[in-house]
Amino acid sequence: MSSTKYPQTIPSRVHSALTLPRYMAWTGAVLTIAVLPLVFTDAYWRTNLIVCTLNIALAIGLDFVLGYAGQLNLGQSAFYGLGAYASTLLITKLGIPFWVALIGAIASSCLVGTVLALFAMRLRGHYLAIASLGFAVITYQILLNWISLTQGPLGIYAIPPPSALALPGLPAIEFHDLGNLFYLVACFALLSYFLLDQLIRSPIGETLIAIREDEISAASLGVNCGVWKVFAFAVSSGIAGAAGCFYASVVGTLVPDAFFMTESFTILAMVVVGGTGTLVGPVCGAILLTVLPEFLRGIGDLRLLVYGVALTLVVLFMPGGIVHAARLAFWRLQRMAVLGAVR
Amino acid sequence: MAVVLQQAINGVVLGGLYVLVALGLTLIYGVLVQINFAHADIVTLGAFSAYFFMQSLGGGYIEAIAVAFVVGGMLGWAMNAAIFAPLRAGGNELLPLIATIGVSITMENAMLAWFGPIPYAFDSPYSNDVIRLGAAYITVQNALIVAVSLLTIGLVYVFIKFTFLGKALRAVSQDRETAGLMGINPDQLVMLTFVIASALAGMAGAMLGPVLVLTPFAGTSVIVKAFAIVIIGGFGNFGGTILAGLLVGLIESYTTQYLGPGMIDIVVFVLMLLMLAVRPTGLIAEKRDENV
Repeated sequence: MSSTKYPQTIPSRVHSALTLPRYMAWTGAVLTIAVLPLVFTDAYWRTNLIVCTLNIALAIGLDFVLGYAGQLNLGQSAFYGLGAYASTLLITKLGIPFWVALIGAIASSCLVGTVLALFAMRLRGHYLAIASLGFAVITYQILLNWISLTQGPLGIYAIPPPSALALPGLPAIEFHDLGNLFYLVACFALLSYFLLDQLIRSPIGETLIAIREDEISAASLGVNCGVWKVFAFAVSSGIAGAAGCFYASVVGTLVPDAFFMTESFTILAMVVVGGTGTLVGPVCGAILLTVLPEFLRGIGDLRLLVYGVALTLVVLFMPGGIVHAARLAFWRLQRMAVLGAVR
Repeated sequence: MAVVLQQAINGVVLGGLYVLVALGLTLIYGVLVQINFAHADIVTLGAFSAYFFMQSLGGGYIEAIAVAFVVGGMLGWAMNAAIFAPLRAGGNELLPLIATIGVSITMENAMLAWFGPIPYAFDSPYSNDVIRLGAAYITVQNALIVAVSLLTIGLVYVFIKFTFLGKALRAVSQDRETAGLMGINPDQLVMLTFVIASALAGMAGAMLGPVLVLTPFAGTSVIVKAFAIVIIGGFGNFGGTILAGLLVGLIESYTTQYLGPGMIDIVVFVLMLLMLAVRPTGLIAEKRDENV
């Protein structure tokens, strides 16, 4: 069988084209986040901003498993849902404060992610894809049918926003306002990005890429592939769980349909359209696929049609995703300019 | 006792249809080592083409099954030509799988835009006639489903086991390169596999139409079970798939009777995950261990 590596090997010259210095990229991101709620003041667009930011977190989380460790996980919707339901039930049934429930959501998703990964340690490729999809179906059906706990298809309503955050020496920050809520979610997304970026640039990242490129060779060099796959799954599902916790408190209602397996496919579309194996790619993919359908609202609810068409076209015509395509185009332009100057 | 017998009949009816869908998946996996998510939408489109053939053109039900068979086959041809053939050159394992997810989302939502979310009432003319079998009953529609499924499964088995093309197909699924060296054109056989698999799916759709709630999402609920069947039976394994399909059909009907319809997917997929943990090669083991 052919190798399982996911993105084609990209020449490093192309890869470094269009890449900003780190401090500039981070400053730009923080400034953009600070300005966005000032530009978009109505509730509709602010909610969209928050949803978009959550999608970014979900997408980079999935990319850690798919793009770096090379494992196709179609169960991301389950971890998202688990985090949402775990935190909401902790808050509404046990009266636990939001911030403790957030930790509970991350812990439960992480734990279940680890269990799935232990299951999946022996599986690769298609078997893993179907096993994780089956896991997503089971989780969805449990959320739908355990009515005494989750209220099934009726859903849970009136979930309170996060409780006020009182940092010592600062006035308490209230989260009834969508602007502040956006800052909170953006902080979470930035933190996730920072964490994944650090992991990827550490020897752990190299290890995961080695597993993606060739599991047998990696094992022959002394890499314990199983342990690192479990680790990647745990990190990825933990991020999805935290995103679920924020989702519940932002939207205020929970129904199992929000965590159907279609949600796994939309997250996958964001990662693949943006570009697997880069962290910038899924961010761009999530922004594009969240914002683009908003402009197409006029011609009916074609949100998912856009996802399907984008996913198919990207896989067929630019398998590295839009970020790779942009870098390639920029690099070609640069080369043409240099060649022109030489002549 | 009558209930047990009745549910056994219902289970075999469902199982026969699941086998038709799962056989396509397993055939494609056999020659291509690829999973086709868009198989679900061929089932749905098969059901819709049969429905509109009967409603708009006034055709009979048996002819409608044939129409769905042809429509499914043409869709399979188009899908292989447009998606799988170009991506196969890349030699990547996951890209074609992701592409089929994209195609599936596209087709599902195109059908949603076209046909709308309201379920269609697909009435078969044979649904109201009942045959008595001892203490249990079977509708003529269900008897027809069992007969057509059995006949089709038998024909596919004979085709694969005894004809020259079937032998060539098995050769390609064992070793594509060597089969190519023996003068077999693997690309043509892959195309043939796709057409057969999709025609079976379209036909299964036409027969599932009166059983399921006919919406653009009808195929999705079937395909996730078909994946479970293919895993339980062993990917690329003909006999295992038939056995697992009937097993899942029976599980579904008995679960509905004794645990409630909400538990069907949970039972089926827990069984699938257990199979993956304990015996990933499927019920009837075969020497194919690349993915496990």
